[in-house]
Amino acid sequence: MENSFSYQSRIDHLRSRKFAQTREKIEVEGLLDEDDYGRVLPPANAWKSIPNHPDGSFYGLEGWTQNFCSLMDSHPVYVDPNDAFAGRWVYFMSRMRANKWNPNYPFDHLKENIEKYDIIAGIGDDAHFAPDYKLGLSLGWQGILDKIEHYRKINTSPEQIKFYDAHEQVVKSIQGWIERHIDLTEQRIQEETDPKLKANLEEMAETNRNIVSQAPQTLREAIQWIIWYHLASRTYNRDGAGGQIDEMLRPFYEKDLAEGRIDREKAVYMLACFMLNDTIYWQLGGPNKDGIDQTSEISFLILDAADKANCSINLTIRVHDGMNQELYDKSLYYLIKNKNAWPRYSGDKALVEGFMKNGFDAQLARQRIAVGCNWMSLPGLEYTMNDLVKVNMAKVFEVAYQEMMQDKSDKPSTERLWTIYTPHLAKAVRTAADGIRHQLKYQKYNEPELILNLLSHGPLERGLDVSDGGAEYYNLAIDGAGLAIVADSFAALQLRIEEEKKTSWEEVTYHLESDFEGIEGEKIRLLLKNSPRYGQGNSLGDQWAKKIGEEFTQLVRQESNPELRHTFIPGFFSWANTIGFGQHVGATPNGRKSKTPISHGANPCPGFSKDGASLALACAVAQIQPGFGNTAPMQWELDPTLATQDQAQLIGSIIKTHFELGGTLINVNIMDKDQILDAHKDPAKYPELVVRVTGFTAYFSMLTPEFRQLVVERILES
Amino acid sequence: MIGRITTIQRMSLHDGPGIRSTVFLKGCNMHCGWCHNPETLSMNPELEWIQQKCIGCNSCTEVCPTGAFSLKDGKPDFQKNLCTSCFDCLQVCYAEAINKIGREVTPEDVFTEVEQDFPFFSNSGGGVTISGGEPMLQPEFTKQTLALFKKAGIHTALDTNLSISWKQYEKVLPFTDLVLADLKMMDNALHQKWTGRHNTTILENIYKLDASGVPYFIRTPVVPDINDNEAEISAMAAFVASLKNVKNYELLPFHTLASCKYTNLKLKNPMGQTQDLSKERLERFQEIVKYTINHREKGGQTEDTE
Ligand code: SF4
Ligand code: SF4
Repeated sequence: MENSFSYQSRIDHLRSRKFAQTREKIEVEGLLDEDDYGRVLPPANAWKSIPNHPDGSFYGLEGWTQNFCSLMDSHPVYVDPNDAFAGRWVYFMSRMRANKWNPNYPFDHLKENIEKYDIIAGIGDDAHFAPDYKLGLSLGWQGILDKIEHYRKINTSPEQIKFYDAHEQVVKSIQGWIERHIDLTEQRIQEETDPKLKANLEEMAETNRNIVSQAPQTLREAIQWIIWYHLASRTYNRDGAGGQIDEMLRPFYEKDLAEGRIDREKAVYMLACFMLNDTIYWQLGGPNKDGIDQTSEISFLILDAADKANCSINLTIRVHDGMNQELYDKSLYYLIKNKNAWPRYSGDKALVEGFMKNGFDAQLARQRIAVGCNWMSLPGLEYTMNDLVKVNMAKVFEVAYQEMMQDKSDKPSTERLWTIYTPHLAKAVRTAADGIRHQLKYQKYNEPELILNLLSHGPLERGLDVSDGGAEYYNLAIDGAGLAIVADSFAALQLRIEEEKKTSWEEVTYHLESDFEGIEGEKIRLLLKNSPRYGQGNSLGDQWAKKIGEEFTQLVRQESNPELRHTFIPGFFSWANTIGFGQHVGATPNGRKSKTPISHGANPCPGFSKDGASLALACAVAQIQPGFGNTAPMQWELDPTLATQDQAQLIGSIIKTHFELGGTLINVNIMDKDQILDAHKDPAKYPELVVRVTGFTAYFSMLTPEFRQLVVERILES
Repeated sequence: MIGRITTIQRMSLHDGPGIRSTVFLKGCNMHCGWCHNPETLSMNPELEWIQQKCIGCNSCTEVCPTGAFSLKDGKPDFQKNLCTSCFDCLQVCYAEAINKIGREVTPEDVFTEVEQDFPFFSNSGGGVTISGGEPMLQPEFTKQTLALFKKAGIHTALDTNLSISWKQYEKVLPFTDLVLADLKMMDNALHQKWTGRHNTTILENIYKLDASGVPYFIRTPVVPDINDNEAEISAMAAFVASLKNVKNYELLPFHTLASCKYTNLKLKNPMGQTQDLSKERLERFQEIVKYTINHREKGGQTEDTE
């Protein structure tokens, strides 16, 4: 009992400290439209990057190695006697450069189309694939150094020698950073007067002494090891990918339990500290490669720990036929209890079947798990550029519409618009794919993945960066954004102009150009907006959404090249770019005003359904899945009056049905409308309010007013 | 076969088990003062005006042949008594401020519309509910609709006030998995006053339903100042306790959410001044029901020596 009180009070302390740190960040650094992560503020005499290029930025093996090692050497150390683990991250190193792409490798040939179609090309972006933590846990830092040593003797070109040197230096600088934590912990032990906290610090010091070189042996060592690797990787380039957390930790937990080193309470305490450390994306439950469910006792403890930490948390439950019903029920219980946007759910069936369509087997497909914002990855096996490359399909639509109206050689029609739209979409997709190809060729000279290479299968073995042929697979993601805007626009034009003849092409064009000004403009805007939209079920909008989705899917697939091992995989996702994308698009024929946000990911436009919105949403998003193993997530704003424990089974049945219908990922928010409105007015009043913005969660108070507005509208109109 | 409905509500959670689609039939033979669905009272299509959605474009006033839509102080205004339901205005209101309530559908239309939600039904133990209005005013349509779903293996429920001739019920019950029967009050005079009909047939039909073997729930709307007193609730609970096969007895608290429907339909709201039934009072009545039913059951089970 005493123990439980002491664990709980430590967790409470860590939680409130985390909230204070978030507040500090907002005060000093301002608002930010992204995840809170677990980062803390840099010190006053902050580290500064060391340029190695006339443009003031740093590039390539030398640049990144030199900067990372220098940063690690001066990185603040962080020890809290209440915490089971040492360490926090402080610097976004990849954001501390003047320029993110090495100008020696220009992509000027792509720039025109990138701008024309409003493409987020992802050139120079990083991470967004998953390391294999199991590899790290089995090798330890010394094991990794030994591996580097081993392959240095095999791959001996001068470039490869430099490659291995760089990785060796990086590992040693991480070890040096850990050693400085050991020193600080030992100092704290001397100062600590509370016997329990002192004992905790002693354990912390011993844990770190054990793993500074050797592979972890206990649960505490394993988690601390994951934290070190992860914090280093975050610092390097904001990598936030996790893995199958329960199965990864299970052997350590079971061994500790069998050898009497741990009890369940202590395990939950440690796991809660782990959850508070950073918002890494972890998957729970789900099948192993042979299809057997991986749920074990520690899966439940992780949920209990997340409940205790109850901060911004990214746990995904994999829903499949053989799933553990108890785990599912418990996850729903916590979803409803905390209303804090965790966990979220992924659908095994469609993900596996879809990924297999790329020519992979079921065993591999089941290992492609939820470890990122909207994305799946094969830990340690692939390079993906997940969530980095996006085509603004609404912008492509605008280009096509204007071209049709300007070219008077033929009469406007939706049929003609479609024949103009599709080649533009093809060009946009080709541009995005060319951007990825450019990245694959030159990213090693720009930003080698020095940390993620360490836990990938291939880069060290081959002496090649993961972006440069080092990885086993190249499953390259391109996402389409604004699907609903385009579908609803086509549907509105077809119905109102061609079928009902209630308006004309000229009239619509006039009002688009004047942004639906005046009462006549508003009338036409509502006529268009009230057309049968995507999401209403078997509507004209649904038909267009399917057609556009299929076209996009096929165009992305066409970019694949088996000889180069390039598999391009389509998805529908817009991340937090809905505002930015919207600013580049004028008024659209779905009744959307100029410069307002585009639709969110695969979701229909807000307000699409008069009732039963949850079911309509679940049906609609399931229907437009691209179907090759990447996601088109369902962003679900669940009405809080529905979110009661006695409705848990119903909520669970909606989730399951979405996945049966073909869905891949569900992000859930349960948000009281009055509360969100109040929080929008006075964010400081709700420092602990967490929303799932897209795939990621964030403290509502950390978002910019524009983004808060967007989230509020989405919730109000749901 | 044509039926008149107002709407099909997806994800209905209060009309039987699981996730359900509820089909609201238009037309009712009672006129309960507290009706939550006043748009289902009349059998005929009618016009609803949602003033908040009106952008003042005046297109309706220009086309309305009778002046039902006309300008008042320079703004559009709707006078229902002048409306002849020609629905010309509907065509020109792009803001969807004007809606036509009531459409004609076949049982097959209903089936097709609901079909998309079958997967949700099977995962949640839900199904389809035919409600209203009073669905048994359109007995043949109700029967055929229920039969279609039943044949497809979908759980079917019928929400009825049980005031129609039992002969009609005999026709639909073979296709009904669950009946949701209303019991509004035991006092016959008050029943007549507040619903426009006596409750003799209803009570008789409940006994017949009880004997029929078809699973059923009884539901009572609890309305402030009408039946929200211990005597009335106890009397109903005692009646329910005397039944053999009833599966559930639910109290449905009165709420004011429907008042905007009266406004939009330009109907007088008889309960315009009435407040929501408080949670405390509802809980109190639920206690009474529980006590009465338990007591009665115990009383019956004399051999139970626990
Ligand atoms: S339905 Fe006809 S009569 Fe009634 S308000 Fe509309 S236009 Fe006028
Ligand atoms: S047509 Fe519709 S929006 Fe226009 S004035 Fe009439 S009710 Fe209002």
